[in-house]
Amino acid sequence: MQVKSILLAGGALLAATSGAQASGFQVGLTGAKNVGMGGTGTGLYLDQASQFFNPGAFAFAPTGFQIGGNIAIPRISFRPGDADQGQRNLQNANVFPFSGFVGFGPKEGKWRLGLGVYTPFGSELHYAQGWEGRYSLTDINLRSVTAQATVAYAITPQFSIGGGLTALVLGDVDLQRDIPVQAQGSSQPAHATLTGKADHKLGYNIGVMFKPSEKLSVGLSYRSAVDAHVGDGDIKITGLPASAAANFTATKFDVTLPLPDVYSFGIGVRPSDKLLLAFDANLVGWSRYQSLDFKYTNGVLGGSNVTSSSSKRQYQNALAFRVGGQYKVTDHFTVRAGTFYDFSAVRDGFVTPETPDADRVGITAGLGYTFGERFGIDASFLYEDFMKRSQSQADLVSLGTADRVAGTYKTNIFVPGVQLYVKF
Amino acid sequence: MTTLFSTKAARPALALLGLGVGLAGCQPNIDSNSPAPSAGSANFSRYIAVGNSLTAGYADNGLYLEGQQNSYPAILAAQFAQAGGGAFNQPLFTAAQASGSGYLRLSGFTAAGSPITTTVPGTAGRFTPTAAPYTKYLSRVDNLGVPGIQLSDIQTANLGNLAPLRNYAASNFNPYFERITPDGSSDTYFQRVKAEVAGTSGTPAATFFTCWLGNNDVLGYATAGGAVASSSITRTDTFNLKALRIVNALTAGGAKGVVSNIPDVTGIPFFTTVGAAARTNFAAASVPTAAPFVYTTGILSPAASNTRVATTLASIRDASGSGNLLLTLTASPYIGLYGQPTGKYWRDFYAQAKPGLPATIPTLGVFLTVLAVDTTKAFGQSSQNPFPSTLVLDATEQTAVATATTAYNTSLLNAANAKGLAFFDANSYFRSIAAGGTATNGVNNTADFIRGNLFSLDGVHPTPRGYALVANEIIKVINAKYGSTIAQVNGNDYRGVQLP
Repeated sequence: MQVKSILLAGGALLAATSGAQASGFQVGLTGAKNVGMGGTGTGLYLDQASQFFNPGAFAFAPTGFQIGGNIAIPRISFRPGDADQGQRNLQNANVFPFSGFVGFGPKEGKWRLGLGVYTPFGSELHYAQGWEGRYSLTDINLRSVTAQATVAYAITPQFSIGGGLTALVLGDVDLQRDIPVQAQGSSQPAHATLTGKADHKLGYNIGVMFKPSEKLSVGLSYRSAVDAHVGDGDIKITGLPASAAANFTATKFDVTLPLPDVYSFGIGVRPSDKLLLAFDANLVGWSRYQSLDFKYTNGVLGGSNVTSSSSKRQYQNALAFRVGGQYKVTDHFTVRAGTFYDFSAVRDGFVTPETPDADRVGITAGLGYTFGERFGIDASFLYEDFMKRSQSQADLVSLGTADRVAGTYKTNIFVPGVQLYVKF
Repeated sequence: MTTLFSTKAARPALALLGLGVGLAGCQPNIDSNSPAPSAGSANFSRYIAVGNSLTAGYADNGLYLEGQQNSYPAILAAQFAQAGGGAFNQPLFTAAQASGSGYLRLSGFTAAGSPITTTVPGTAGRFTPTAAPYTKYLSRVDNLGVPGIQLSDIQTANLGNLAPLRNYAASNFNPYFERITPDGSSDTYFQRVKAEVAGTSGTPAATFFTCWLGNNDVLGYATAGGAVASSSITRTDTFNLKALRIVNALTAGGAKGVVSNIPDVTGIPFFTTVGAAARTNFAAASVPTAAPFVYTTGILSPAASNTRVATTLASIRDASGSGNLLLTLTASPYIGLYGQPTGKYWRDFYAQAKPGLPATIPTLGVFLTVLAVDTTKAFGQSSQNPFPSTLVLDATEQTAVATATTAYNTSLLNAANAKGLAFFDANSYFRSIAAGGTATNGVNNTADFIRGNLFSLDGVHPTPRGYALVANEIIKVINAKYGSTIAQVNGNDYRGVQLP
């Protein structure tokens, strides 16, 4: 018996590993100073987080150690299109992105060496039981950690270069959805759980910085694309009717999520000793992600000869623009503020439940306090408001994306964070 | 050392913190895209449904409680209730008699993947005029769907009354109508509809209706392979007359409503499943498509000519649609016997025909001689053991069905337009399902047997999900015609075929 093939629509690893600044389900959360300033950093050399934003700028940064964490508090709502039984609020789960960096080098010298570890993102979404999109996605849980080793060199006091080698050291995905097959006498359809670990992939970033004067700095950086590949993921199916078991024998899956590269440009302006203004632009190469393709091994999944599935994504490159600033109120106390506008990577009619992406506006604020010369604490607050995003069933049918659900999504995320640092 | 925070600096910090905490609790609110349900120029306070098995919630070859609860009128009534709709009473079987007429249940699959069905026995039912009747349901009935009724029979007297004695046939006696008709009443279905439209002391006059009659006027002929004399296609002029009469009766009191037309019977899995599966199996067994296929055409009966038609297996329509012969779902136990010297079909046919045979045909042997059948010859290959007409709908029969369907649908459209009623083009809708399926919230639904989610185990009647999608289509035409804003239902909330 042939059971219709299921189109597994997990875009899971999407945000996990790239550190991409724009779109997907990501916020750039490395460095509380930068978060407080709208996520700018490519044209700045404030602290060790420059290893992430612009390894060239790292050459001008102080040496020291910093460690910080955030609580990402998402609130996601969904309202179906036609058969509207009311708004669905996701069982929102907080995630805890963190970052830590250390930088070494001679104080007045030309070079820097650094090590860092950060979570470009983690995401956890649990949709309501039996919600409209249950056959696309019910739950997703992602965790990722990237480690980076960086070297930077100031060729002249005005010009520096740098580069970093990154490695995805942890990438976990847990994806769940219902399968539209139901056993007699059962009140629930079958359910699939896919779990996997991503390969330890290497990547790099490179950057340059021009510092024509103490008042102006200009930076350019590039972060490479890394494909997140889960080669040996596990499939577990529950609630399957006995007569359909022969069509769901696969136990392992393989999937590759192409993640984007990022071009960044940034400017830092210091009109006075106390005031710093920054502007950043990022171009995130999401157009690499055209479809999500799963391969099933050790059997079939969804039909007697179904060993793979493909779901359209057709992501587009996305721009983000950021503006931020900090003001030294006293020798010890600094306030920060910023804003950004981040364009969506997902086209109209392609929004999937695991990444309800949309254009977004962010406002940020931050505080910094130094204890003496060497120690300090920074706090950051980020509020990100996604534009309402809708797609109708007619849109999905005409685009060939009817494996996801029609309706309206609206999301906002609040992320407070804190960071401690010591300069040495 | 200076104080940790000067009070002046602390104030903006605390304000930000407070703002942050406030923002964190904020769940975004999405207003509904659709306006609140309203009735527009229609009035749903008493809705009645007129029709046949499709309206009654018949599924899996029977009428039973779960099917009735998921009939499209029941789904519509629940949506109407949000816009001023009143109570909707169906002649539900009781919990103790929940299996109703009995129905098919999927018990497994053969090694080749063909479904195995078993029958869940019913609790009563006049399968013969002497069998026990259904327990009467004489309370208010708003769902007047009577399985098996043809538009041509709506004015037949005593349709629900065994008296007077007569040669009982589907056209003059209907046990489901008997169930909702008081003892001894000679009422026709038409008179019952008129009474419900007018209202009685206990029930208000009808303000809204759906009317889906006429399928059986061509379906009975088709599902019998065009081979049974008593299942003929209703004449177009008769159909037109009855259609006008029923629509006039329904609108007599000013009620508004929806008229639905007849789907193409050849797009349903009852006709598309067995032939395609057989072609696949023949190919897998390396049986050449040029192998002979001999079938009888026209009425299959000792009294008929039983003309043989000789063609090849390539004429049986396969999954891609090439070939012009359709095999019925009832051909499933027999097509696998192709090429074997078997008399299985003829024995089964004889057992069924025996009560009506004349005295000149006393035994199976004589029966076979009259039909010119020799069961030692290869079944379906030799003209002396042909594949029976009852299991085949050939091009001539398909043309007769199509011509009638088109004529019926013209009558129904004209009748609806004459009264300014909404019209559900079920023909186009089911044709689009057969062509490409329809997606509901990430699930693909097609007209495939069992796995398609939309058709039940008899290959003719929809599953609860199929009925839900029909209800959604009817809601769309109601909203378009009467300016109402009735909400649709989520098709995935209704089951397809559940697997063992």
